[in-house]
Amino acid sequence: MAEDDLTSSANTHGTQVAQRQYEHNGQGELTTAIIYAIAEADGVSLSEVKSPPLYDSVDVPAIEKAFFGPNGAGDSRQGVGTVEFQYSDYLVKVQSDGWIRVYEPTEADHS
Amino acid sequence: MAGEPDSDEVVTSDASASPETQLPPLDILEIEPVYEVLAHSRRRYLCYTLLEDTEWSLTDLATKIAAWENDVPEHTVTEDQREEVYASLYHAHVPKLVDEGVITFDEATETITTARHADQVLTALKGIGASLDSEQETHAQSDMDEQEG
Repeated sequence: MAEDDLTSSANTHGTQVAQRQYEHNGQGELTTAIIYAIAEADGVSLSEVKSPPLYDSVDVPAIEKAFFGPNGAGDSRQGVGTVEFQYSDYLVKVQSDGWIRVYEPTEADHS
Repeated sequence: MAGEPDSDEVVTSDASASPETQLPPLDILEIEPVYEVLAHSRRRYLCYTLLEDTEWSLTDLATKIAAWENDVPEHTVTEDQREEVYASLYHAHVPKLVDEGVITFDEATETITTARHADQVLTALKGIGASLDSEQETHAQSDMDEQEG
């Protein structure tokens, strides 16, 4: 596969088309942050991202709890890792540091 | 269970009958899902609106909830505020409530309607002292930040 030097992480994930950082203690929900990133990838407004609901694709509250949820002492669990899921034609990656990245499949991925 | 209702299921609860005089529905929700439904402030807000009316357009709901959360009159809710709540309802909270049988969602008209478990959840909501007086949920915004996304 040819190296794509435009995006640092363009490899098996395809081409990154949008990214957004979710701040757990900021305003707003992880679900909405993911939809913001997908809307940006699509070039549409937030409310134009429709069908299927993200709820049908991935368990967002579970990601929220695993990465950012409180432990028994009330501190963050600080889970480390990445969850990837498919939404429409996109691959979405949510990292435990809050970065949400949206990838479009490259030509090579269709083979 | 025999005879699952199809997708355009009709509302079985009679809004005019008081909960006291009704026999409990056969398939009542267990307690845990009831509290899960009510665990998120936006879902509670949505349930408050069902006390007021049994049918809402998603846009009207988003406007109303955004007004509550930002503590501003409905007519001053900005497009960004409305869209943010709308996306959250559409992609997270509405499907969750549909899953639990509290509401139905018509995708074509983007209208929500109370479903078979609405009475039980609204009764629980009233039982824990909630009311349409949003004073009680003043801190919903910060509350929400600490909870699930």
